[in-house]
Amino acid sequence: MTGQKRILAALLGTLAVFVLIIGGLSAVLLLSGGPKGGSSASGTAGGAVDTKPASGRLRLPGTDPLTLDPALATDSGSAEYIVEIFSGLMTIAPDLKIVPDLAESYQVSDDGKVFTFKLRDNAVFHDGRSVEAADVKCSFERAASRTTASPTAPVYLNDIIGANDMMAGRAQDIKGIEVVDKKTVKITIDAPKPYFIAKLTYTTAMVVDCKQAQQNPRNWMRSPNGTGPYRMTDWRVGERIVLESNPKFYLGAPKVSQVLYQFTGGSALTRFENNELDIASISVNDIDRVRDKNSALGKLYQTATDFTISYLAFNAKAAPFDDANVRRAFGLAIDRSKVTSVTFNNMISPATGILPPQLPGFTSDDKTLKFNPDAAKAALAASKYKNAAGLPPITMTEIGGGASAGLDTQAYIEQWKQVLGITVQVKQQDTASFFDDQQKGRLQMFNAGWVMDYPDPEDVLDLKFYSKSTLNDIGYSNPDVDRILEQARIERDPGKRLAQYQDVEKRLINDGAWLPLYFGGSHQVVNASVKGWFNPPMVIPRLRFVSVDR
Amino acid sequence: MTGYVIRRLAILPLTLFVVSFFTFAIARYGPGDPVTIAAGQVRDPEVLERIRHERGLDGTIFEQYQRWAVRALEGDFGESFIQRGYSVRELVVPKMIVSAQLNVLSIVFVFVIGVPLGMLAAWFQGKWIDPLIISSLLFLSAIPVLVILPPIQWLLAVRFHIIPVGGWGGLIDIYWIAGVIAVPIPNPHLYLPLIVLTVPGFSGVARLVRITALQVAREDYVRTARAKGLTETTVALRHVLPNAMLPLVTAIGLSLAGIVEGSYFTETLLGIPGIGAFTFESVRSRDYDVILATTLIVAVFFIVMNLLTDLAYARIDPRVRLGASNLS
Amino acid sequence: MTIAAPAAANSPAEAAASRGSVALFWERLRKKKLAMMSLMVIVLIYGGGILAPVIAPYSYTQQNIDQALQGPSRAHPLGTDRLGRDMLSRALYSARTTLVVSVAVLVSGSLIIGNGLGLIAGYRGGWVDNTIMRVGEVFSSLPGLPMLILVNAALSPRVDEFAKWAGRLPGGGGVVHDFASYISIFAALSLFFWVGTARYVRSLVLQLRERDFILAAQALGASTPRILVRHLLPNIAFIVVLQLSATLGSVAGTEVALTWFGVGVQPPTPSFGAMIYDGSGTRTFQAYPHLLLVPGIFVSLLLFAFALLGDAINDVIRER
Repeated sequence: MTGQKRILAALLGTLAVFVLIIGGLSAVLLLSGGPKGGSSASGTAGGAVDTKPASGRLRLPGTDPLTLDPALATDSGSAEYIVEIFSGLMTIAPDLKIVPDLAESYQVSDDGKVFTFKLRDNAVFHDGRSVEAADVKCSFERAASRTTASPTAPVYLNDIIGANDMMAGRAQDIKGIEVVDKKTVKITIDAPKPYFIAKLTYTTAMVVDCKQAQQNPRNWMRSPNGTGPYRMTDWRVGERIVLESNPKFYLGAPKVSQVLYQFTGGSALTRFENNELDIASISVNDIDRVRDKNSALGKLYQTATDFTISYLAFNAKAAPFDDANVRRAFGLAIDRSKVTSVTFNNMISPATGILPPQLPGFTSDDKTLKFNPDAAKAALAASKYKNAAGLPPITMTEIGGGASAGLDTQAYIEQWKQVLGITVQVKQQDTASFFDDQQKGRLQMFNAGWVMDYPDPEDVLDLKFYSKSTLNDIGYSNPDVDRILEQARIERDPGKRLAQYQDVEKRLINDGAWLPLYFGGSHQVVNASVKGWFNPPMVIPRLRFVSVDR
Repeated sequence: MTGYVIRRLAILPLTLFVVSFFTFAIARYGPGDPVTIAAGQVRDPEVLERIRHERGLDGTIFEQYQRWAVRALEGDFGESFIQRGYSVRELVVPKMIVSAQLNVLSIVFVFVIGVPLGMLAAWFQGKWIDPLIISSLLFLSAIPVLVILPPIQWLLAVRFHIIPVGGWGGLIDIYWIAGVIAVPIPNPHLYLPLIVLTVPGFSGVARLVRITALQVAREDYVRTARAKGLTETTVALRHVLPNAMLPLVTAIGLSLAGIVEGSYFTETLLGIPGIGAFTFESVRSRDYDVILATTLIVAVFFIVMNLLTDLAYARIDPRVRLGASNLS
Repeated sequence: MTIAAPAAANSPAEAAASRGSVALFWERLRKKKLAMMSLMVIVLIYGGGILAPVIAPYSYTQQNIDQALQGPSRAHPLGTDRLGRDMLSRALYSARTTLVVSVAVLVSGSLIIGNGLGLIAGYRGGWVDNTIMRVGEVFSSLPGLPMLILVNAALSPRVDEFAKWAGRLPGGGGVVHDFASYISIFAALSLFFWVGTARYVRSLVLQLRERDFILAAQALGASTPRILVRHLLPNIAFIVVLQLSATLGSVAGTEVALTWFGVGVQPPTPSFGAMIYDGSGTRTFQAYPHLLLVPGIFVSLLLFAFALLGDAINDVIRER
């Protein structure tokens, strides 16, 4: 057997040579490993950032923003950072009132179409330069310009006279914005719309350093010269963002001097328990632990409702959902409260309408279809299809990258089968294909959500259901609803206006345009040394109201 | 040999062209449009047209490809659609370096551990050690990443706090003794991904080595060589070794070829900013330029490694005539 | 029991092949205890899958929302999932899904492409070899899984049509529907993943083609196809068989990955991938470990059994 042994030994030897070669390669890589994590440069260079708990330092989990350009942001992830780095004429306060921000005060003309803003004397950019009316005008014009190609400007700036012309390329500036003097700017809109002030809180209307953006159109967002309470000093894509307080902020320097968003590192709750993070969200797996008031985590638990509404949408232009009875049958056949109480352990609540709690116009009575199997069967029988056999195949589409359809989807499919005898197929698609099909009207039924952008019912009822709205993705068209919406746009009596929107809400639900599923909520644990932390129902600036004392 | 190398390298540009055009076509003709994704909830066709033009997505596919290719040849791979303001290169390269670091380390461990283990198993063939080694290795490698990761993560990170839950901190960490002496140690973030990546690897290598060693030791030409009276050493080095090397060379070659690719599952579950997770996200959001750049870099590595592997074949086994045809 | 090796012109495997080898092969395999145990495990799991409609205690869609997330109990030996569905029943039906996928893999020809092309490339050499290898490089430089997503997204409307049509055939139904959609997916997969196999086979063939027995056959005037099939194939047989068992084994793993990416069966059809997805994540595992452990153990066992079996088969073939 010695022969074999030697052969094997020789094999070992030669392979060791190979390994040495690879080892050499790895040594090279090791030495050139570069900065920790070696990710892209941005802002200040530098190695690790101190992540230990300290007074005045807030450590949060987070994800990369898609962009920091206020004119281009469409998602709440990006907005979360943008509202701290930039600011606009108006903002939303923690109590959800619309309050002046860069503006010190404003006046509305009698016809409701001209808004005159007086800017604060001490409003400055991060670099110290004073904010002037010309900056406001050029920011709006930048957002509306064809080169910027902002996807949000057509929806949020279109009320301003001349904005549409600029967006279409017919004009080089917005005629409706006038620089009266260094600190006064006048904006004229096309009709007396009371919600215009609210729209100004959106990121598209925020003030940027136009010169900086012009000189460096590709990269200026890496160290933006904004006007907000925080400056961004470090952004490593995929790793972290560091915000530092702006000592020149016109409402006073924020108390938390450094905010560190860490993107990597695994489960946020685990990091929270390891004292690596100061805030963490709770998922359905841990909610029981957290609700126990006597546990360590239980004492740090905070919860609040938010402005998200999840719904099932029906394509009213395609069979079988072109028949309102079918839509109603589907709505009556499912037991949402069972799903929210058991499957989601009461972390979300069944929707009682389209307008979520805390929104002006919200009423707590339940306007939605209640679970009623007999009524569901009756509605189906009353439809033109008569029964399940008469229906064409139905597919429900949702965005899913993973294996299972949402738990609630699976529950509802089962209930539709039990109650109505209808088998609904689930199709999961990736985001790109989903939007594609949605735009082309190919989806019969889909599962989606909506987050409010500003606290006004117009933001959902008009934008999503007005027949000519570009955000109306279900092809819904109801002349009565259209009429009321048009009236509500210019109704200046707030009470009457809200009543109109409530009327629209009832009609939409009874018509089965949407099947509202749930109102969302936030569940978090907050480190005891963090004071003043709150979870607003939508993205608003909040970091400057917080303090950290350790 | 030189002629062969030159011929192989000469095809490289053609291959890259085919790869890039193919990827380009698939990405653009598939469903899903990055413009609609970037536009979010806005559906106004005019706005979409504007965005499309600004990002260079209008025109026929040939126009678009030409535009891209011209810039690519200058080294500019364009800008990411999704992560505005960041060039593709500065997004992709650091992530590839992260994944490559992980891959190189795991290749080293895979072969350093796998080869001796395989030898041991072959040495003791017939006795109980052989099946024990093989079975345990097989068992460990049979468990899919998705299944093994949460338990190990829980055990090592949450229960016993030995390693961090996830994230990445580079290769080296500094450990301070008494706050004075700095000792470089491997970064604890490495342990979990390395375990998960190497275990299936060295089990495969060990089995390969075992099978090959056993097979080779029994071959006719070995007996013939011995019968001819050659010394053991000569037999080993001149006849056995080269033949045993070939499958291993293939294995090493394939591992190195994939060095700039990352494992999507490992990276996502452990929060490692590598290229695997990033490529996947780019496909999901149809970030064309990123997909193209990643594919091309991977292609270049792959082709070059293949070439090196083939050259190694020819070196090791003189009977292998590269490029020679065998028509009968 | 040794087989006296004929003249050196014959290769060992060929000798074995020409002597009623199937019976011999089986006899030798039966002696290996590990192999037999693995075979039993495979048969048990797949058998459970086939018999699932008969032996599963509950339907895989039956939800009892009030009984969600329970651990093992008398009524539910393996516990329940988040919607109160019985884990044991879902596991059995998932095994059936894996079986469907395995058959689809075989039928879609992914094995044939890899082995066939490797054989041809290695033997012919020259420009044939070159072309095949270069084309292979193109395909394998494309990132497999992301490309699969794109290809799947592009083809999926047509795949759906095909699957629906197949499901409506007489004797069809859910299983045929899934089968049809999987064939399409694996046909696409095989476009990207044949190259590894081909390279291994090719490297073997490169060695073998210079061997005496091949040269002898050529001298005797045997045609290329005959040489490929009668002389080369038996010698690379052990690699092919190993691949077969490895492929079947890895099917379970691939299915898990595919379902994670949304490719493959849709709910409510259960699959191990879907079950693992439900149970994955550090916090989920901490709170409800059985969600991950049940499918995880099934899949691991299956993979393990196939690997052991493959090794044993390989040992048997190589024995003289």
